[in-house]
Amino acid sequence: MKNVVHFLPDEKNHEATRLLPYVMAVMVYLSALALMGSMMLHEGFGEWTETLSNRLTVQITSPDPDRRKDQVAQVTQLLRNTPGIDYVRKLNDVEIEKLLEPWLGEGNVTSDLPVPDILDVTVSRTLTVNLDALRGMLAKVSENIHLDDHQQWLGRFLRLMDTVEYTALGILLLVVMATICIVIFGTKAGMAENRKTIAIMHHLGAQDGMIARAFQDRFMKYGLRGGIIGLLLAFITLITLIYLSRDLAAGLVKVPRFPVMQVAVLVVIPFFAAVIAMLTARVTVMRDLGRMV
Amino acid sequence: MIHFENVGMRYGMGSEVLKDISFNLKPGSLHFLTGASGAGKTSLLKLMYLAQRPSRGKIRMFREDVGVASRSDLPRFRRRIGVVFQNFRLLDHLTAIENVALPLWIAGGKGAEIEQHVEELLTWVGLEGRMNARPPTLSGGEKQRVAIARAVIRRPDLLLADEPTGNVDPAIAKRIMHLFVELNKLGTTTIIATHDMGLVRAATANRMHLHDGRLQIIQAGDREQEFQEEDFDPAEYESRTLDQKEFGPRRYDEVDEGNGA
Repeated sequence: MKNVVHFLPDEKNHEATRLLPYVMAVMVYLSALALMGSMMLHEGFGEWTETLSNRLTVQITSPDPDRRKDQVAQVTQLLRNTPGIDYVRKLNDVEIEKLLEPWLGEGNVTSDLPVPDILDVTVSRTLTVNLDALRGMLAKVSENIHLDDHQQWLGRFLRLMDTVEYTALGILLLVVMATICIVIFGTKAGMAENRKTIAIMHHLGAQDGMIARAFQDRFMKYGLRGGIIGLLLAFITLITLIYLSRDLAAGLVKVPRFPVMQVAVLVVIPFFAAVIAMLTARVTVMRDLGRMV
Repeated sequence: MIHFENVGMRYGMGSEVLKDISFNLKPGSLHFLTGASGAGKTSLLKLMYLAQRPSRGKIRMFREDVGVASRSDLPRFRRRIGVVFQNFRLLDHLTAIENVALPLWIAGGKGAEIEQHVEELLTWVGLEGRMNARPPTLSGGEKQRVAIARAVIRRPDLLLADEPTGNVDPAIAKRIMHLFVELNKLGTTTIIATHDMGLVRAATANRMHLHDGRLQIIQAGDREQEFQEEDFDPAEYESRTLDQKEFGPRRYDEVDEGNGA
């Protein structure tokens, strides 16, 4: 004879909680997708902002090519002498063509196209550049010189990034709350279904903790099983989405890459789901038993 | 062993189903609990097996005030009480042996010792061939014996039986009664709630009689009291002394089913 008698009926006979692992799978699937999406976007946004945060672009749009050449040299010298600027480089024709390709298509950038000269400026991470003063100095050289520090775009981008991440966290929170509610309902249904068994166990001298343990073990299994299924489905979904979207970006934006190490952390989700289910079931059972004689 | 003092009990906000119950039972005593349907027998048993709390009054069992004991203390008392329920209350998904093993397992017993102990008892009650059967496949008499085995497996200090012979034929009823008498002789305080007056009159035991929620103790052999009862049958009363011999300390399955009371 076994040392432990499983006094609750077999799981297959549990009409009230039979579907719970599947519900848990859906909950974990949604949580994992929300988290993975958030992590990937965070990673991608991080790279983009990293690229742009210490860069300035100077466009010289004077129509006269000779004059423009002089202005490029003058502006390059001016920038190199400005404190806080580490590096100034003029983009060559091939680089400019690549930048325009997403809009004009490959091979459509012809030599008669009026393309400005572009200076790529790298700003020091330790020193601050006085951009207003710099703009003033560049304006003195020519009114056809434009300085873009990407701040307006970057600011909107950061706001979007925050919104997406907070939304993902909000979804996660809602899913966790919904999971707790479902486990509470499931536990109560399970207790109602096993009312007779619980009463008999009480009469035979079982402690509340012993009865609660049977329920919490069962719900922990539901959480773990559902969690593993949900996480696998989420991984499959995400990999499929990345695979399908690999050609869509076409150079406009860089597709966020799959942050393997970070996403690997998500394997804790099924355990987290199991712990939530277990604790919720225990608290629910103990509270309900506490109201009995 | 059991001391009730002015105990009253009601369900919810209803009227009292038990009123001013006072009695004192000595350890090792055997009592029948009688009364018409609705008189409060099951309610009184519920108080004794700690499934209900009194609305008023004081209940002392095992030298402790169990009526006001904390919930966490109740399992400790319940483990000293064996209960045979009228409808058996077996767990249908467990085998006979697992059902009987439950009290031992709850008390922290280990597999091998539990198994040996339970098998011995089930053999003693004549169920050696039905140990792995589940309750839905057992007959009424077999279920009753499993329920009884479960109630006595830990040698309880107090054994309560609610209509233990209500669902079985007279031969099985007599077997069960023999078992209870034997257990009582081993020192278990026993209270048997029954409607079966023939059974009651066939045994030498005091009687706790409930009428309209009030309790009266009738001493064994108190003819005057018994004559006053509506369902008294003089012929049955006279034959009682002969039938009492049936309740000797014999092995359960050695009892002759043919000599019923």
